[in-house]
Amino acid sequence: MTESPKAAMADPAEIERALARVKAARQAIVSELRKVIVGQDDPIDQVLVAMFAGGHCMIQGPPGTAKTLLATCVAQVMDLSFKRIQFTPDLMPSDISGTEILEEDQTTGRRMLRFAKGPVFSNIVMADEINRTPPKTQAALLEVMQERQVTLGGRTYPLPEPFYVIATQISLEQEGTYPLPEAQQDRFMLTISMNYLPERSEAQVVRRSTGAEAVELQKVIGATDLLAFAQAVRQVTLPPALSRYVVDLVASSRPTVPGCPDFVKEYVAWGAGLRASQNIALAAKSAAAQDGRSTVEPQHIRKAIVPVMRHRIGLSFRAEVDHVSVEDVIRRLTQACPEPPSH
Amino acid sequence: MATEATAAPVHANLLATLCEGRERILREIRKVIIGQDAVVNDVVAAFFAGGHCLITGVPGLAKTLLISSLGRAMDLTFRRVQFTPDLMPADITGTEVLEEDRATGSRKLVFRPGPIFTNILLADEINRTPPKTQAALLEAMQEHQVTVSGTTYPLKEPFFVLATQNPIEQEGTYPLPEIQQDRFMFSLLIDYLPKAQEIEVIDATTSAAGAQPDVCMTGGELIEYQRLIRRLPVAEPVIAYAVSLAARSRPTEAGAPDFIRDYVSWGASIRASHYLVLGAKARAALAGRPHVSVQDVGSVAYPVLRHRIITNFRAESEGISSEEIIKRLLQAVSPPKSGL
Repeated sequence: MTESPKAAMADPAEIERALARVKAARQAIVSELRKVIVGQDDPIDQVLVAMFAGGHCMIQGPPGTAKTLLATCVAQVMDLSFKRIQFTPDLMPSDISGTEILEEDQTTGRRMLRFAKGPVFSNIVMADEINRTPPKTQAALLEVMQERQVTLGGRTYPLPEPFYVIATQISLEQEGTYPLPEAQQDRFMLTISMNYLPERSEAQVVRRSTGAEAVELQKVIGATDLLAFAQAVRQVTLPPALSRYVVDLVASSRPTVPGCPDFVKEYVAWGAGLRASQNIALAAKSAAAQDGRSTVEPQHIRKAIVPVMRHRIGLSFRAEVDHVSVEDVIRRLTQACPEPPSH
Repeated sequence: MATEATAAPVHANLLATLCEGRERILREIRKVIIGQDAVVNDVVAAFFAGGHCLITGVPGLAKTLLISSLGRAMDLTFRRVQFTPDLMPADITGTEVLEEDRATGSRKLVFRPGPIFTNILLADEINRTPPKTQAALLEAMQEHQVTVSGTTYPLKEPFFVLATQNPIEQEGTYPLPEIQQDRFMFSLLIDYLPKAQEIEVIDATTSAAGAQPDVCMTGGELIEYQRLIRRLPVAEPVIAYAVSLAARSRPTEAGAPDFIRDYVSWGASIRASHYLVLGAKARAALAGRPHVSVQDVGSVAYPVLRHRIITNFRAESEGISSEEIIKRLLQAVSPPKSGL
């Protein structure tokens, strides 16, 4: 048997140059986005961490916290096609992926089936209020997210590259929601939390949004750059001490694993799986690349932990009674699992 | 006249190539899957025996990757269906659409095959879908065909279903009835990897894309091997051992041990003895051995009996699982003395 050749090890100078481009692109994107988006530095950071690594993200937060604005601005600055889908209780899978329509040929008068592409054929798909739609339609979106192609009538239509889903959820307490099953949430790399701004920033937003001046956003990078960045991110090294730390931390969130902390047994119904460790590692690499570093440092891991783990831990009934949030649990996990000393 | 003497060398040659084929497949799968040796081995064994598998485990443990790699290594078509509460039977089997004939302009109903028309089907989270849809899948699995409006469409051969069940978040799920579970040859459990392997996985999956499995066997060869496995002779005492393992698990059976009467509400069906023998044949053949031993039967006891022995309320309250029952059963049923 011939083994297929291992991906060629890029030479260090080339990696350095690629990372320098990633860092420059990040700075340019952030300064463009700040022209329009006020005081949401962490969400901007996290969206870029996910996109530079080729991952999908979920944005949570009350209405009017610039969730759609963030997604549209990112699309503009990166010169990507953008479609927003409002998820409703009557949305069908074909409303997302596309459908075959009967079309008449003008010249011959013959009718035939033609595939009309759905809104998912776009670089960025904003899936708004994804939990308002029934499970089969949710599953249709998650399937294309995973496979990056639509199969219909025996034919396969590839999605454009890169392809990102940015989904939002309405709060679960509301009526008529279909909560996304845990296994499907797991397919999102990060959950980004957007909150109301401090008053000073809110005043700035109001001043800007009611003013006459329209801000024009510059295109800073393009689709091919993002594909190259995703490659560069994967060239970043994760030191063994840090990968061991990531695995220890994630494993300590699993109540069935012997030796997990007592508060986990008490408050956690199910812990974070293998995809949590993978995505913390990848998010940390993406953050390091955006710093222009070829090696992950503890602060890159630290920033990745909460957004990656937030949607991967299920709380017990007891946690609800004691008003313990997922963020509380994650904070206690990081306290219980010591970070390796940085060198 | 064909005698044992002339048949044996052919067997030996075929078995050697089968054993080598299995090694090649495992080598290809190992390019992308780290760890989970037991599950990989059992899935490959079921695949070669022509049986279907049920896997229970938390998400994110590379179940999709395992089964799609197996498909790639054998150049077979692969489809995944996410089961949801609103999935309908036609979403799996297919549906009829009105289509116009281009030449004549007349319209007629044309069958659009569903995702079940594939060699390998991953039925993800099968317990999220209501019974009618589960039944549609299981019926097609059993019959290897789909019937719509009076017309029968055969499924592709080979046909293999790997269904998954998620043990967490049981709310709003429809557990598969025992009789439906019985249609799966093996029930496998998949658990988190040891930490050292989890570290290996995160290093491998967040670095530059690695090797992909190459095609190393065709579907036609697989079907040949499936036939070969069925042709493997099994000695009477080995069959008797498989039958008594299944029979002694039934609380109504005369010779059932006390712990079976105490803890089991339903014992293993006749399909259990069938799959114990078939699984043992696959184990022996895949190892290149022409003789099926008692150890081969024992080695498939857990995956074959796990979902077929239903424990009662008392077992649940005393924390006794079907795993524990199988362990005791293997101790209680003594293998034949011939040393096979």
